[in-house]
Amino acid sequence: MEKVKIQSLDKNYSANIFVKRPEKYRELKEISDRYEKMIPMGSCSSYVPASFCNDNLSILMTKFNKIIEFDKVNKTITVEAGIKISELLQFTLKNKLWIPQIPGYPSITLGGIVATNAHGKSSAFHGTIRQQIKEILIYHKTHGWLNLSKDENKKIFDLTIGGFGLTGTIVQVKLKLEDFIGYNFKTSLIKTNSLIDTINNFNEENKEVYQYSWNRSDNITNLGKGFIFKNEINSIENSSVDTRGLYHDTNKLESNFKFNLWNNFTIKFSQFLYYNFHLQKKNKIFFENFKKIIFPFSGKEMYFKMFGRNGLIESQIIVPAKKINQIIDEIEFNLKKELPEITLLSIKKIKGECNYLRFENDGFCITFDFVRNKKSLNFMENLDSICQNNQLIPSIIKDSRLRLNTIKICYNAYDQFKKDLNEFDNRRIYRSQLSDILEL
Amino acid sequence: MTYMIVGASSGLGKDLAHEFASNNKNLILISRDKTDLEYLKSDIILKHKVDVKILPADLSSIDDVENFLRSNEKTFNSLDGLLFPIALMTEKDKVLASSLESKKIIYSNFYSITLLINNTLSINKNKKNITIVGFGSISASIGRHVNTFYSAAKNALETYFESLIITTLNENIKVQFYTLGYLDTGLSFEKKLILPKGSTKKLAKIVFSNLNISGGKFYFPFWWKPISLAINILPFSIVKLIVKRFN
Repeated sequence: MEKVKIQSLDKNYSANIFVKRPEKYRELKEISDRYEKMIPMGSCSSYVPASFCNDNLSILMTKFNKIIEFDKVNKTITVEAGIKISELLQFTLKNKLWIPQIPGYPSITLGGIVATNAHGKSSAFHGTIRQQIKEILIYHKTHGWLNLSKDENKKIFDLTIGGFGLTGTIVQVKLKLEDFIGYNFKTSLIKTNSLIDTINNFNEENKEVYQYSWNRSDNITNLGKGFIFKNEINSIENSSVDTRGLYHDTNKLESNFKFNLWNNFTIKFSQFLYYNFHLQKKNKIFFENFKKIIFPFSGKEMYFKMFGRNGLIESQIIVPAKKINQIIDEIEFNLKKELPEITLLSIKKIKGECNYLRFENDGFCITFDFVRNKKSLNFMENLDSICQNNQLIPSIIKDSRLRLNTIKICYNAYDQFKKDLNEFDNRRIYRSQLSDILEL
Repeated sequence: MTYMIVGASSGLGKDLAHEFASNNKNLILISRDKTDLEYLKSDIILKHKVDVKILPADLSSIDDVENFLRSNEKTFNSLDGLLFPIALMTEKDKVLASSLESKKIIYSNFYSITLLINNTLSINKNKKNITIVGFGSISASIGRHVNTFYSAAKNALETYFESLIITTLNENIKVQFYTLGYLDTGLSFEKKLILPKGSTKKLAKIVFSNLNISGGKFYFPFWWKPISLAINILPFSIVKLIVKRFN
């Protein structure tokens, strides 16, 4: 078998790996039984090296993409884990149902969504994907086929959701579906003048409205100016989403340009255009199609390509509401000090309970994309200190630069996760470069 | 209309099943992997709302095939077509492969297919329209140091299908044969190949659109046709030198 060179989406890690793509249950078992160390792989579009490890086997699950059971009355569906989220939505939306916790790119597989406990835009209302998962079927080299749920193998069920694929290959997932009555989204904008102003303008989530901000980061004077976008399902009876637009056959996130094209000038220029374009839309209600809202990066792959060979740094942190003003002050202070090149700054609300290494809690989720350079790395060091001092939760699945020490301090259950994982699999068969960084 | 797909649980067979079902054809799916067949059946019924019957059978075992034919005689009466997107390749398939290994490969890739076709044509006493589609391999163009029995079996299959085309020229039976180059399937996934792999989804669409053609031989991807022609035209002594260089 020949090796394949592969990179994380943020381009911070690369590896030469072996890849097998089983298509049958028998083949998955045979492959898993034959190799010593392995890790399942979905669309391989994680920012971090979660689905590969140098010289090891990655089991590509994309051919496991069948719908096995669908119960329209009880709103449940059982599907194979390699199904792309766009394929799953194509089916469920025809039946006016969906899962709301959707990551921003259509080729991401359900197995990846479960393994990273994805949250999507609706996290303030629906929480993370954990809320929708009823049952999981995994295959583990030593434990064989295992059904996981709240009633069966509960500890492994909990370890698997947000467990980075380290408990074995996720093969099938049974999901609870939610209603989706309508065919597009009604969008409105609120103009904000600063990051604090943005926070103050988020509404309480008693209605199913997806709120997230876009804030300027191109210079200190404009810092935080921007908009809160509010997306509400356009609830029209007897209508459904045009699912043909969701078809997505290729992953266009694989290769970047040779050189980084994001710099002070291009960031200022693009943010100036984006800001002024949307300024015309404030105080208006307009309609946007499903794909544009749910998969914001589909068709905008150029954004990633422009980071060049060195790639980007993405950081997401959850800040509890009671600390948000203080943390924003600290972030602004450090931004003014280090002047990193930030291409994206966005805030949304999130709800949940952080357990094991899952990125969820009640509070505000702040997202940054940086050009990978010294200024950004200096700022990120300061951000790590802020996280450590204030017990904020940084996203492990977004930031491959995070140090183990920061993770141990910020995730109270790190030791418990490690202990429970080792109890389940003392040979630690399922390993990735990410699990090596985390010393799991 | 009902079509039987032999080797349906993965690769081209799976895509053919979806393509035919999306065109409202009922299906009988055959494979040795019962679990995969059951899940594929659910998937097709949920997505396309057609009738799907599954029949597990292992074509590498002649006993299994004969039992299958005995117990499913009525099934063959109702068929409008048979497709054989089946391929068995193993790492041990070399000149010195064991008798058991070589039998399995020859049965799966050639002999069992002929038994199924024979059975169908014998039962078809009413002379109804039937389409039979076979799939060969470009590897059958020349003997090889790997996949030895596979390429021999595929060569035999191609010859058999040529005979079938000639025999049924004046009957209501449409026979088509596809010689396949590299396809994006599990068999070729991890291999670095000198030419690009063809899409099985695209091939499934082509197969469906060609169903009414009588006695057709096709190549997929198309560039394998001139390559195959060149191999056949060149003297074996030259082909041997080229193969030696690439090995």
